[in-house]
Amino acid sequence: MAASLWMTVAASPRQVKSRQPIAKHSSPKNTAPGVASFVDVTRASGIDFHLTCGSLEKRYIMESMCGGIAVFDYDNDGWMDIFLVNGSTLEDLGAGKCHPSKLYRNNHDGTFTDVTTKAGLTHCGWGFGVAVGDYDNDGWEDLYITYLDGALLYHNNHDGTFIDVTARAAVGNAGRWGTSVAFGDYDNDGYLDLYVANYVDLDLDHLPEFGVGPFCQYRGIPVSCGPRGLKGGRDRLYHNNGDGTFTDVTDKLNIDPGGYYGLGVLWLDYDLDGCLDLYVANDSSPSLLYHNDCKGGFTEVGVEAGVAYSADGREQAGMGIDSADYDNDGWPDIAKANFSDDSNNLYHNDHNGQFTDMAGPAGFGAISIPFLGFGMKFLDFDNDGWKDIFVANGHVNPQMDQHSFGVTYAERPLLFHNLRNGKFDEIGRSSDAALARRYVARGAATADFLNRGKEDLLISVLDGSPVLLRNETAKSGHWLSIKTVGTRSNRDGFGARVEIKAGNSTQSAEVRANSSFESASDPRLHFGLGTATRVDSIVIRWPSGKVDKVETEAADQELVMEEGGGVIERRNRQDHLTEPFTKRLPRTE
Amino acid sequence: MQIRFRQCSGSHHAGCLRPPWLASNLLLIFIVSIVAAAQSPDQHVKVLLRSGQAALDAGDFARAASDFEQAERLSPENLEVNRGLLLTYLQAGRLAEAAELGRNAVARWPGDAQLWHWLGLAYFKAGQNSPALEALQRSEKLDSARFDIHFDLALVQLQQDQYPLAADELEKAIKLKSSDPLAHVLLGRAYQNSNRTLLAVEQFQIALRLDPKIPLGHYHLGFAYASLGRNQEAITEYEKEIASAPENPEVLYQLGRSLLETGDYKSAIACLQKATQLNPQNADAFYDLGKALLLNGDAQAAIPALRRSAELKPTDPSPHYQLARALTKIGTADEARQEWKRFDELKKAQPQNGGMASGRVQ
Repeated sequence: MAASLWMTVAASPRQVKSRQPIAKHSSPKNTAPGVASFVDVTRASGIDFHLTCGSLEKRYIMESMCGGIAVFDYDNDGWMDIFLVNGSTLEDLGAGKCHPSKLYRNNHDGTFTDVTTKAGLTHCGWGFGVAVGDYDNDGWEDLYITYLDGALLYHNNHDGTFIDVTARAAVGNAGRWGTSVAFGDYDNDGYLDLYVANYVDLDLDHLPEFGVGPFCQYRGIPVSCGPRGLKGGRDRLYHNNGDGTFTDVTDKLNIDPGGYYGLGVLWLDYDLDGCLDLYVANDSSPSLLYHNDCKGGFTEVGVEAGVAYSADGREQAGMGIDSADYDNDGWPDIAKANFSDDSNNLYHNDHNGQFTDMAGPAGFGAISIPFLGFGMKFLDFDNDGWKDIFVANGHVNPQMDQHSFGVTYAERPLLFHNLRNGKFDEIGRSSDAALARRYVARGAATADFLNRGKEDLLISVLDGSPVLLRNETAKSGHWLSIKTVGTRSNRDGFGARVEIKAGNSTQSAEVRANSSFESASDPRLHFGLGTATRVDSIVIRWPSGKVDKVETEAADQELVMEEGGGVIERRNRQDHLTEPFTKRLPRTE
Repeated sequence: MQIRFRQCSGSHHAGCLRPPWLASNLLLIFIVSIVAAAQSPDQHVKVLLRSGQAALDAGDFARAASDFEQAERLSPENLEVNRGLLLTYLQAGRLAEAAELGRNAVARWPGDAQLWHWLGLAYFKAGQNSPALEALQRSEKLDSARFDIHFDLALVQLQQDQYPLAADELEKAIKLKSSDPLAHVLLGRAYQNSNRTLLAVEQFQIALRLDPKIPLGHYHLGFAYASLGRNQEAITEYEKEIASAPENPEVLYQLGRSLLETGDYKSAIACLQKATQLNPQNADAFYDLGKALLLNGDAQAAIPALRRSAELKPTDPSPHYQLARALTKIGTADEARQEWKRFDELKKAQPQNGGMASGRVQ
């Protein structure tokens, strides 16, 4: 164990032994620097889930928008579990036929067990997005799920089961169609608030007819209608009262007065003032950036900040969003996925309240033009200390395949390797088969499922099985994982800003679970360290204002860091890798 | 006698649109007149037809018109005479007369593909695209095995932005004659404009293989690459085009645009400056020049270019978006606010189109 100096509180960290042996990963195929290796292990992992989302023809807009996935540790065993939101069809919804969402418990060996029924997550409906957060600070992660006709909040009972507390909490989203959703403590009162992006106010009894009307055409061919021509759903912001209930402050704080078509939600502190701001990606309308005045109010500044539109001031079809400091300048940047025939955005934080879309010069934009992006996640797949970007793609109109548009319904994902000079190299095509394959992908989440210091990927696929992509990248650096535990701040530590120094490099990141498209990722901060075998310092700025500092920690371990308590647990995972992974978990590619 | 008229397309094929032949052969006319006077009417008509065709071949439209008009007076029901006269009027640019004659001729010989074809071309050259389309479609129905009919029909359809239909016609034309590079370029454009960019790339590549120097071949291929986001390949093609046409402002503009997309601001600025000098009316070139200057850190220099763009395209919100950002960067907050306001006003005035999203227009 490396020497550690806890600067604020003299708490003695304890070494935690492994609970169970972890499977060792198989020999990777690609070994050249900057070459990713992701292996499809879905079938072998025991995940048996089919995402149902309307008809295969996608005659109506909601049939294209399913795909929420959540990666979270529901049973507090230190291993990331998986929740997959399911949709439905118009017929089955009317007939009461259920397409259940599923919760999979991590077996710590690369496999998962379906525990949905036992967990009591059995609601039948047409689901879309999911958020994870410990809204009542009891130390157990809760779930919030959006549906075509409202939303549900599930409280974690600490015994592997959940209970629906929506009515008591008053976060039912009043029959609206919600998509992405995110927990974040905007007023730093120590309790997670909740933002729900609503897409379209849809009347199921009067659905717009496929292909009929000016907003039901794409490239001259008939497709499902909308969202233009349909009434946008106004987003909701729920303030957590701290007693298990919430207050809808949408009107009070003038949230989404235009009722734009909300698809992506991201809490971030873009100006580093210690108060969480909010970025909302909207479809076919300006995206919104709410600046938090640290007095309980927001001012919408998206246009002035340069994140409302494309680099040319045009509306885009914003889908998934994520934030990270991709150039390690200490300021959070934003990436946003958009429709095909348009470029994805890489909004560089200019440190003055403004962003500049650097997608073109960064090599991130032009290549994305034929792709319709949904899931968007920063990750450091090769642990070199520079954030890479993953984009899950898939069109909304299967009719594309009947034409030679150069755009297809299923599309391969994009993986951008950070070249450390502000530029990226898209390496998905040259990587393993699993990345080169085409999917109609929607949600995307990152997680270290095997607790071995590598960020894996999970994507949802419309009308198909999700894809669990195990990171087998060979040239991988050292790493450090940090799980935050708030005391005065919210228990998850969402919004805490962590800065680490290792060798000559400094990295910073913000704690969150919810981002991308309708999804929640592993909330533990993952830092690639390259060749550094230790971290020289760790600074955490908690939402409460408290600043904690730690000096000198060894690489290749997970630290559990408590607000005011320092490192309260070390999870050294390397010694778990004792057994060849392939012995029990054959590749399925 | 079957008259052998040049198959003249509405396109700019070499030899089709020759300037009037200045040296009208008065002597020949005189001889023909003497000979004709000594012949029967039928023989006279035959002589006039031969003479008219010779004049047409020589580009002497005045003499050809004289011969065919004389023949028409002698034998108004003669199909060959009507064909000759129609083609002569068409070639001579006497489009109103061509259209009138053509209308009468097709009424008399409704099954003649050639007459419908030339009538269609007469309309097309006169800018009457709808009747042109009708006549050419009729011609195509009567004779679907003619390259030039499909080609000319496609030209009219391209003119009318009927890209998928034009692509269909050009595909038919190319099946009949695959060696015509211009047909491949036009098919590429039809594909490009009907969002079949990958197919467009193929066609431009074929055209360039058939004729490496075909005008604007590299430009079109570059544009197709750029719309696929393949900017480096686009730049290579634009540079090849510029090697043969260094002063083409449109090519320079597109090159500058692709350079801007790749983050090569300095080269982009140089290209766009030249493009704006060569064509000071190109609002988009001024816009991208301003944007490149702004991204290159020279907000002050960006402002005049963006203002010029706004002047040239007063309903376009984008220049005001960039102006507001540039003015913010140089610290003129009040002016920036004005531009944000203008941007917002113009945005609201724009019609909404498209369904799920506003994709990039190709």
